[in-house]
Amino acid sequence: MADEDPRISPVFDLVLRAGASETPKSLASNEVLLHVVHDVGGQPDVPLDLTEHKEAPWETRTHATCECLCWRGHWSSEERRRGENDMGQTLYAGIPYYGRWILVAAKHLLDTGRITPDELSAKIEEVRARYAAQATEVTP
Amino acid sequence: MRRFKVGDRVTVLDKPTLFHTRTQSYCRGRTGVIVALRPDDWVIPEDEAWGRVDGRRLPCYMIRFQQGDLWPDYRGPATDTVELEIFENWLEPAKEAAQ
Amino acid sequence: MSDDHDHLPDVEDTPNDFEILEIAIRELSIAKGYFSAEDHRRFMEWAESISPAAGARMVARAWVDPEYKKRVLADGTAAAQEIGIDMTAPTGQGTPSDYIYLVVHENTPKVHNVIVCTLCSCYPRWVLGMEPAWYKSFNYRRRMVRWPRQVLAEFGTIIPDDVEVRVHDSNQKTRYMVLPMRPAGTEGWTEEQLAAIVTRDTMIGVAVPRVDSLVGQRP
Repeated sequence: MADEDPRISPVFDLVLRAGASETPKSLASNEVLLHVVHDVGGQPDVPLDLTEHKEAPWETRTHATCECLCWRGHWSSEERRRGENDMGQTLYAGIPYYGRWILVAAKHLLDTGRITPDELSAKIEEVRARYAAQATEVTP
Repeated sequence: MRRFKVGDRVTVLDKPTLFHTRTQSYCRGRTGVIVALRPDDWVIPEDEAWGRVDGRRLPCYMIRFQQGDLWPDYRGPATDTVELEIFENWLEPAKEAAQ
Repeated sequence: MSDDHDHLPDVEDTPNDFEILEIAIRELSIAKGYFSAEDHRRFMEWAESISPAAGARMVARAWVDPEYKKRVLADGTAAAQEIGIDMTAPTGQGTPSDYIYLVVHENTPKVHNVIVCTLCSCYPRWVLGMEPAWYKSFNYRRRMVRWPRQVLAEFGTIIPDDVEVRVHDSNQKTRYMVLPMRPAGTEGWTEEQLAAIVTRDTMIGVAVPRVDSLVGQRP
């Protein structure tokens, strides 16, 4: 998606540096376990892409949906941020910013039993079917 | 009752943190000076991030670090700084003598 | 565009999977009473109403009114409220992600302030609108706190060596805004004229206000 830099590898060299060892070192020396995913301050990178990107409607809707869940007491923004870390380095870096938000919201609702996997699957299929029907409508 | 006041030099503890933190790795073990107080009734991230919305409320401080103290290879002017907010449970009085 | 679940949101192409997921989560949440369609509509309205114009008004007012400037620096939240910027919107207690604690940092001939959130994308949305894509990019989050002058230079902003660059990493509940220095050549300007040169980027701290051109300026 447009708001992520495609030049950045989703698996930053921190993972490689910790070693793809099959005999893990102790917790104290295992950087991968002790490195919190969102704690990126000080890592190097290439010059910035300063292109402006107007927020897409789905992104604004995602923002509102996640905030409404917080507003009505179903989670807090700090739980959301922690949930984004829980996704792990690859997803954290590899999907769009608001993709993280909505994935974490879905996971939280499932984890807490507020929705069931069946309900979510059925609803996704229903939404897809509606869009497919709309796409094939003959416009006058 | 706050443990620290503006002007105090403090060192950031380096506690093992898995999964989530809001005390950045780049300030762990580093020493800075408290330049401002923040409210003392914010729930700490160690509780809030895990769903304990009525968790521990601790004083928070705005701390100024010299860039040269944070990064061994910092090449900018010695006066450049970074300011971070850190909760009291992450702080101890500075280990080294004030300069 | 409506977020009522009987009306499909406008999409130009096939909706992406995240878009589908959001619709699914929203409709399930509304059906189960986790929040209402009205809640969502109010948040959408809020998101679409915020912009850097609010922050620019604060800065322009602070430039012409020294007493207001003191209030801005002493209590950013109250100073914003004073000119009609309501940080309690849209819930009455603010937004869950932005909290209600604004601190404004003043640029001086000795100190240049700049804002970043290395951990996520904390940003003073009520006064600056939604954050730009580069602000929430990994790139900016990684580099501003360690190579600030290099990153500022990429914006075309060169800070002299005798000026301290002070980076504010928003890692807790405070949200920051920069009060830029009023440039020379603006003597006698009205607040409206002054606000027009206070861009979003000058209140993040990656740019400084310029009097010479509004054409082709970055936001």
